[in-house]
Formats: sequence, C-alpha cells, structure tokens
Amino acid sequence: MSAADRERLFLENAAIAAAGTHAVWGAGELLAALRRVVATDSPVYCPGVTELEKAAAALFPVRAADYAAAAVTVEEVFGAVAETGTLVCSSEGGRAVQAGLLPSHHVAIVRRERIFGTLDDLFAAVAGAPPTNLTLVTGPSRTADIELTLAIGVHGPERLDIILV
Amino acid sequence: MSHEQTSLAFRENSVRALKDSALRAAMKQAADTFGTKRADAFAPVADLEGLRDRASAIREDVLANLPTYVDRFAAAADRAGAVVHRANDAAAAREIIRKILADRGARLIVKGKSMVSEEVDLNSHLEAAGMEVVETDLGEYIIQMEGETPSHIIVPAIHKNRRQVGRLFADRLGVPYSDDPQVLTKIARTALREKFLSADAGISGANFAAADTGSLVLFTNEGNGRMVTTVPPLHVAILSIEKMLPSLADLPAFIRLLPRSATGQPITSYVSVVTGPRKTGDATGAKELHIVLLDNGRTEILAGESRDILKCIRCGACMNVCPVYRTVGGHSYGWTYPGPMGLILTTLLTGMAKSHPLVDASTVCGACVEVCPVRVPLVDLILQLRHRKVREGFSDAATMRGMALFGKAAASPALFALGQRLAGAFWPLVRAFGGKDVAGRMPTPAKTPLRRRLP
Repeated sequence: MSAADRERLFLENAAIAAAGTHAVWGAGELLAALRRVVATDSPVYCPGVTELEKAAAALFPVRAADYAAAAVTVEEVFGAVAETGTLVCSSEGGRAVQAGLLPSHHVAIVRRERIFGTLDDLFAAVAGAPPTNLTLVTGPSRTADIELTLAIGVHGPERLDIILV
Repeated sequence: MSHEQTSLAFRENSVRALKDSALRAAMKQAADTFGTKRADAFAPVADLEGLRDRASAIREDVLANLPTYVDRFAAAADRAGAVVHRANDAAAAREIIRKILADRGARLIVKGKSMVSEEVDLNSHLEAAGMEVVETDLGEYIIQMEGETPSHIIVPAIHKNRRQVGRLFADRLGVPYSDDPQVLTKIARTALREKFLSADAGISGANFAAADTGSLVLFTNEGNGRMVTTVPPLHVAILSIEKMLPSLADLPAFIRLLPRSATGQPITSYVSVVTGPRKTGDATGAKELHIVLLDNGRTEILAGESRDILKCIRCGACMNVCPVYRTVGGHSYGWTYPGPMGLILTTLLTGMAKSHPLVDASTVCGACVEVCPVRVPLVDLILQLRHRKVREGFSDAATMRGMALFGKAAASPALFALGQRLAGAFWPLVRAFGGKDVAGRMPTPAKTPLRRRLP
C-alpha cells in the first residue's frame, strides 16, 4: 500500500466510523484547523510535549491542568491504522491515554508517516514489547444497548476529530 | 443479588417468555437488526473463509497446548508487574477477589462487562461483604438496577424496550421520563461518571489474553472498559483460562472477526491492550493489577469429547441466528450463557443433572455453525450432549419408550408400514380425545405415505 493509499483509506474509514477528519500540511494549517474544530473558550487539556502539541497549545487561552476537568483534549497520538480508520494511543513516554477518554471532545493529531496500512502492520511493530496501555480508538464512544439503537457518547468522547498533519 | 440456576425449568421459562409480548417484539427486532448488520459487515472482507480457518487453527492450537499457554501468560504478566491468581472454581475466584478488595479497604467498585464474573456470581458475594458494586456497561447498568441477569452475552438488556428503560430510570434515578435512547444514554453517563472518578477499584473481564506478553485485551464500545482499567488505583481482571492467544501478534485476525460477528462493526470503538500496572514513568494504568485466571471445570472439559466449545470467543453470533433463542430469549436458558454456545457450556459447567432440558433447546438446523467465526462444531456438540443425556438416564421414561418403539419400527419396513396405517386409522380418535393441544402440534398423517409415492 502506497503512502497516498494509506492516507486515503484511513480518512475514508475514520469518517465512516463517525470521526471528523481534517488533512492539513504544516503547523500553520494545523492551527487553522484547530481553530475551526475547537471552541477556544472551553477548558482544553493539551500535554504540550511534542512539537505539534507545543504549537497547538499556544492557541488555547483556557488550559485545563488536568484532563479530568477538561472539556476538550488536544494531543498528538502514537499513530493510526488505515484498514479500520483507527487511532493508536500509547502510554509510552508517560502519555496519559485516559486524557483522550474523559473529556467529551477528543482532538487527535496524527502525522502522516505514522499511518500503518493494516492491523498486522501495527501489531508487528508493537507486539514485541507493548507499552502498559495501548488503546485503539475508532470513532466516538457508542452503544446500542437500548433497542439496538445507536447512541453516541456513553462514557468516552461524544465527538472525535482527527487532524492529519 | 444472587441468581439461582433455573435451566431445569427451561420449558416453563419458555412458555412464560412466549406470553411476554414486549420480549417477543424485542427479540424479533434484534434478530432482524443483527442479521443485516452482520452480513453487511462481512461483505467487504476478502477471503473470509481463509480468515475463519486461520482463527480456528489459532484457537485449536491454544486448546492443544492450554496449560503451556496459561503458564506462559502467567509468567509474562508477572514480569509486567501484575499479580496472577489461579482460581479452581467459582467460590475460589469470588474469595480471591473479595480478599484483594477488602485488604485494600475498597468500598466502591466500578465494573466493566464480564460474563465470567456473572458465571461466578461475583457481585452478590462482594455486596454481601459490604461493598458497592456498580455495573457500568449501559446494558448491565440497566439490568443491575432491575435486579435481573443478562439475557444476551453482548447486549445484556436486549429483552427490554426503550419505554421500560425510561420508566426504570425515572423511578430509580429521579430523572424526567424519556424513551429516547440518546437521552437515556446521557443520563447514565452523568450518573456513572462520578462513580468512575471516586471508585476505589475497577473490575473487568477480558476478551483475550496474550500468552507471550501477558497482555489483557478488551473490546468495548462505550469506553467503560477503558475507565475501569485506567482510572481507579486498583484493577482486578477476571477471565477464564481458555481466553488465551499464543501471541499478541495473533490479535488482528480476532479484531477482524469478533466485532463483525457480534455487532456488525468492522472494529469496536475501543480495543484496549493492558500489559501490567502503571510502571515508573507511566501516566496510565492502575497502580496495582491483579489477574484472576478461572478454571471452573474447563480443564475437565478440555480432556473430554466436548472440548471444542472452548474455542468459542463469545461473539454471540450463534444466539442471534438461533431460532430457539430468537423465540424464547436468553433468560429461558436459566443460567449465565444462553443460545447454542450457552446451552453447551451450561450443561458442561453445571452438569447434566442441573441442565439437561437445555440440550433439547435446539432444532439442530446448523445456522449457528454457519456463522461461528472460529468454526465451533456446535451442532455436533449438541448431538453429543443428547447422547450423553440418554446414556446418563436423564431422558424421561415416556420419551425413552417412544423412541425405543420408533427405533424398532424404523428398522423394519413391515412394522413401519403398519405404524403408518395405524397412525392414519387412529388419527380421528387422537383429534377427538387428545384435545386441541395434541392435534395442533401433530401433523396430520398423509393418506398415501411418501414411501409409496417414491419410485
């Protein structure tokens, strides 16, 4: 699978899973996309660790110190899987994976070169020495426990946006 | 709340279920929805049969070497910092978990969906020890509030309609009545969020356990599985020993098969791979992770003729297509696991004496075999159990006499022909004296038997 195919397939499958998808180039476009996606007056949690997170953090006047108190988490994640439109969140490097779980809006930044083609490609890369927590995220939190009717936003985010950089 | 097994009353349970029009409507809708969703989800999968073969072979390898994989998993989980406990039976599992929680003074426990915890009746034991146990899967939350057990292994409250849930929430939570699933879901979100944040411990099950890395794998949609495994300081996982996969690298095949078979999704919203507790430098994970590996009769099943049932990955596809399950619902089976996989597992785990009517709860039509993603020979296993039921003397005397008579007649063309003539001759009498019940259920004998109409 070529890089262009991986990107196209990832965006397509993520959209089917009801994630918002935004493909941008460079830090400038990333900030523009974040302005469109995030309500800047809401308390935002952004770890501000990676280069892209540092660039993003400058945008938000109201920073939540703790993800449990945030309405939005903006973070760069470990990678993505094209086959299923999945984000890969890893606890490696002291990342709080639950930061993408508690707030009702999760904005995940993914670098293009971090898209794995298939689940096999991902697990070939991580299965040898998995981190404490590896979570695959595909779309927002959902349930069909009442009459098999889809409802969004049970315990995790009701809104998931993916910005591909 | 403790729940007694009522599998011996399968017939009475079913009769009651058939009179419950809300249940029948719910089951009908569920059957229709599941059928199309599953088919749609598998349509784009290339080489589905090859995928099922591979998954089936992996599960067979697990069973062929189960003690090795369990030991390997325990060693790897231990290296990752988890404490592994072995529970030989349900009582041992309950006591191990109670003690872990009590020793740490845990009072409020949030729980993710776990059929194994239902199997060992964990909640009632912890509640008796003074702990508050809160089910956090929406379906489990609903039935816990109602004091019921799951009627489906994937969708526990499938027997309830939105109006029943709306009235329950209004009564018990003091919220305005609504029958909108989205509104009801939000009510549960709010009620449960504070429980997650203040819980002393989380209890989860696991869909799989990777023997090479000691990882637990959980498939969830709501996010409660992620909550119970990462938010409280203590995480206790309970799983039965056959949930092993040889390697974490085997997982992709099961990600492709399990959610599609269960709910018709290409993947669940979340797949969590948890390897040990929080380590130095980590910001995720419970500070302490305890893993309870439950045998509860599996080693014995593994040594017997029904071992293939242990290949089952608990997707629920077999019950969704089963004409018996779809008619009588999950509670009629009277124990933790309903449907084709459930009746087999129930009979094996609880014993023929407590469950023998279940082995007849199948038309052996084979729809379950057709959808099983890991090729469990469900019909063969059910037929084996029927043989066992007869061998062990659990068939009632009238059935045995009738079948013996039929066996003799079927082996002799002359006797068979006589039987057919007698049936035809006495049919008006049966109609007249047997009552509507008998006549309605028995087909009227043909004037000319098929045997004579064939060339």
